[in-house]
Parts: sequence; C-alpha cells; structure tokens
Amino acid sequence: MIEFKEAAVVAPETGVPILHPTTLTLDERRITIIGANGSGKSTLARLINGLALPVSGSVHVDGLDTRKHGALVRRKVGFLFTDPSAQLIMPTALEDVMLSLRRVIRSKNERVKAALAALEDIGLGDKGDVSVNALSGGQRQLLALAGVLTATPLVVVADEPTTLLDLRWKAHVGALLHALPIQLIEVTHDLESATKAQRTLVIDEGSVVFDGSPVDAVAHYRDLMYRKAPESRA
Amino acid sequence: MSPTLGSFRAGASPLHRLPAWSKVLTLFVWAIVSMIITDPVTALGLCAAALLLLVSILPSPKPTLKGLVFILFVAAMTASYQVYRGYVAAGIDIAADLVGLFALSLAVTGSTSMSEMLDFATRAARPFRRILPPTVPGLMFAIMLRTIPEISNIMRESRDAAKARGIRRSPSAFMIPTATRTVGFALDLGAALHARGIGDEALTDPPDSRRVRLTAPAGTN
Repeated sequence: MIEFKEAAVVAPETGVPILHPTTLTLDERRITIIGANGSGKSTLARLINGLALPVSGSVHVDGLDTRKHGALVRRKVGFLFTDPSAQLIMPTALEDVMLSLRRVIRSKNERVKAALAALEDIGLGDKGDVSVNALSGGQRQLLALAGVLTATPLVVVADEPTTLLDLRWKAHVGALLHALPIQLIEVTHDLESATKAQRTLVIDEGSVVFDGSPVDAVAHYRDLMYRKAPESRA
Repeated sequence: MSPTLGSFRAGASPLHRLPAWSKVLTLFVWAIVSMIITDPVTALGLCAAALLLLVSILPSPKPTLKGLVFILFVAAMTASYQVYRGYVAAGIDIAADLVGLFALSLAVTGSTSMSEMLDFATRAARPFRRILPPTVPGLMFAIMLRTIPEISNIMRESRDAAKARGIRRSPSAFMIPTATRTVGFALDLGAALHARGIGDEALTDPPDSRRVRLTAPAGTN
C-alpha cells in the first residue's frame, strides 16, 4: 500500500511548487496517472520510490518512509523510465539483467541461469549476447522491464513507458505491463491505455484534480485540456 | 560501437576460456616487457604473436580492422618521426610495440565479457573496500563503455539539428546542446541506477524466492 500524507514538492532553486500538498492512498492493482506536460505527474510517480523526496509531508510504501528507508523502498518499487536507453547500463542484454541480480544471487552460474530465464520470459531469449545498442526501442524497453522484474518488486511504477514506441511495441509492452501479477502505477499520455485501470488520477498544475473511474477521468482531462488549448478558444 | 570497446564476442577459443585476471595480468606484463625490450626483431616477434592471438579469438572483422588501421596510422606517424631523427631501430620497436599492445588489448576485451571484467574489477578492488565499495570501479567502467555510443548519438543529433536550422559554422550551436544533453543523459542514468538499487552496498539480503513471471502475448513479438 502506498500512502501520501500532505506530500509536497517545490523546485529547489526557485521555490515554485511542483506538487501541492497531496494526500492519497494507492492500493488498487492498476492505477493510471494522466495530465499535461509539466503538470507534476512524473514527480508524483518519482515520489513513490524515493527518486524525488517531498519537502513537506511524507510518502510511505508498505509502511516504510521513502525518506528514511529509500533503498528498502526501491527494492519494493520497480521503476520503468520513458527512455530505456538511460536505464540500460551494461553492454549486452544478458549482462544488464545480471546486474540487477548481483545483489541477490552471489553465484555467477546461478545468476546467468536466472538472467537467461528472465530474458526468455519476456521474449528476448535469443538476444542475450546482443549489444543493447543494437536492440530496437521496443526491445530496449522490454529489457529494461526484465531488469526491473528480476529484482522482484511488489509494485512497478512506469513513467510513460510506451511514449517512444511504435504502435506494435506499444501494444506489446502495454499488454505485458497489464499482465503483471503485481501492482502497476502507470503515468501515460495514451488515453486508451489509461482506461485499462481500476482508478485514474488526473494531475493539473501540481494538484490531483480528479481521482476516480478511468472513463470519467479521461473525460475530465479532455475537457480540461480543450478548455486550455489556445486554438479551441478562438 | 567504438572498435576498441565492448567488442566482446562469445566463443570457445583458448583465450575465451582463460579467466579474466590471467588475461589482464598478461596484458600488463606484456606492456612492461615490450617497453623494456628495445630490440626491433624481438619487438616485431611480440607484435606478430599478439596479432596471432587476436586472430585466434575470431573477432568481428569490421570494427577490428578499423581499429587496426587507426593504430597502424598512429604507429606509422610515430615511426616516421623516429626514422626522420635517424633512429630506425627505435622507430620499428615503437611501432611494433604499439600495434602489438593494441592487438593484445583487443584480444583481451574481445574474449572477456563485461560481467567477467566486472567480477574481476570487483575482486581486485576488494583490498580498498574501506575507501571505495568494491563494486564501484567495475560499475564505473561499465557506465563509461555504455555512455560512449550514447554521447556519439547526442553529438550526431546536435549537429543535424544545427544543420536543419541552417547553422553550419557555429561551434556553440553544436557544443552547447551536446554538453547540456550529455548532462541530461547522465542525470537520467543516475536516476536509473538509483531506481534499480545498484550501489546500495549495505543491503545484502539472502535471495528472494519471489519471481515475477511474464507471459508474452502471442503474435506481438
């Protein structure tokens, strides 16, 4: 269970609020977060695994404060970034997955076996020795997901995981994410994907402006954006 | 990818089967010996042996040849300077040393996977664990290798963006976006390391039995 208690974030130098004090309890299996660029939705997502810390208030995951127990929280919360290139560290696919396993599996042979199994599970079984630079964007995102999942998280937070992907990979990665047997919190601009959830948050100008059923949330968001778009006012 | 870096190819050659530490040690000793020996005939012999070792691992031909052409050019420049000064034997010795060491280092990196190198660097750094967590040096090396192709991508995109806006001659139109985007990439990489818990040395629990399994949806891969 994820709990925000009056958690607020401000820009470090200017003091401009990025997220106004927010109180939320997130325990549904599938939650989506939508909002305009710069609305604060990525910051909200990053608060969950302690990549961003609140300047006031607190965020707890399974009762652990992200400020005091950051490393423990990050072991429970896997994070998938928009651009998988920055998330992949090792030169080949197999080595990158093995890197996630270094902490939990000491024996190298066991680590190779576990990493190969993870690649097989995600459909990259034949790409183990391939350089990560030679993988397509979709394959990179799958590899990043494999790296996240081998660390056996309880929650996956995905920050626009399909924004850079073509339609085929978007469908594939989206389907994999939605089939995960763990909690998934997805930040997305894909309104169709946003409705495949039990609960959707709409973020605008640093506040949660809607929290409820996905279909109503998308309608609220569309209305909000069209009202703000300069062209639609004319 | 850069011809000299990350050129590992899986194989079954004798060099592939040797442990990483023995290869790194050989490279180190070879470098010292070839610097001490100044006899051009011995130097040429060592160079030929290194080239044979390189061939024995069956490296990817194109990047290897590209790398060799580059080092041959450097060696030729250095040798011709020595010959010009009248030191023919020294010219041959230096050129042979350069090519030999380069070939041997390609043979080592081409036959050793990054994981083996990481494990080796981690073990080698263990005596210094009070100053530096043992996994850090290996990780630094891996990140360096990973960053090189990304930076060259950023450079290409910045150059194209400047060209597309009709700015061809201004170095700042190329340098500034390259620098800022490189910093941006470094920040993203740092966030990803953080998110993946890499470097959280103090927390080493026994392996977890939970494993998240995935089933790929049919027909999409």
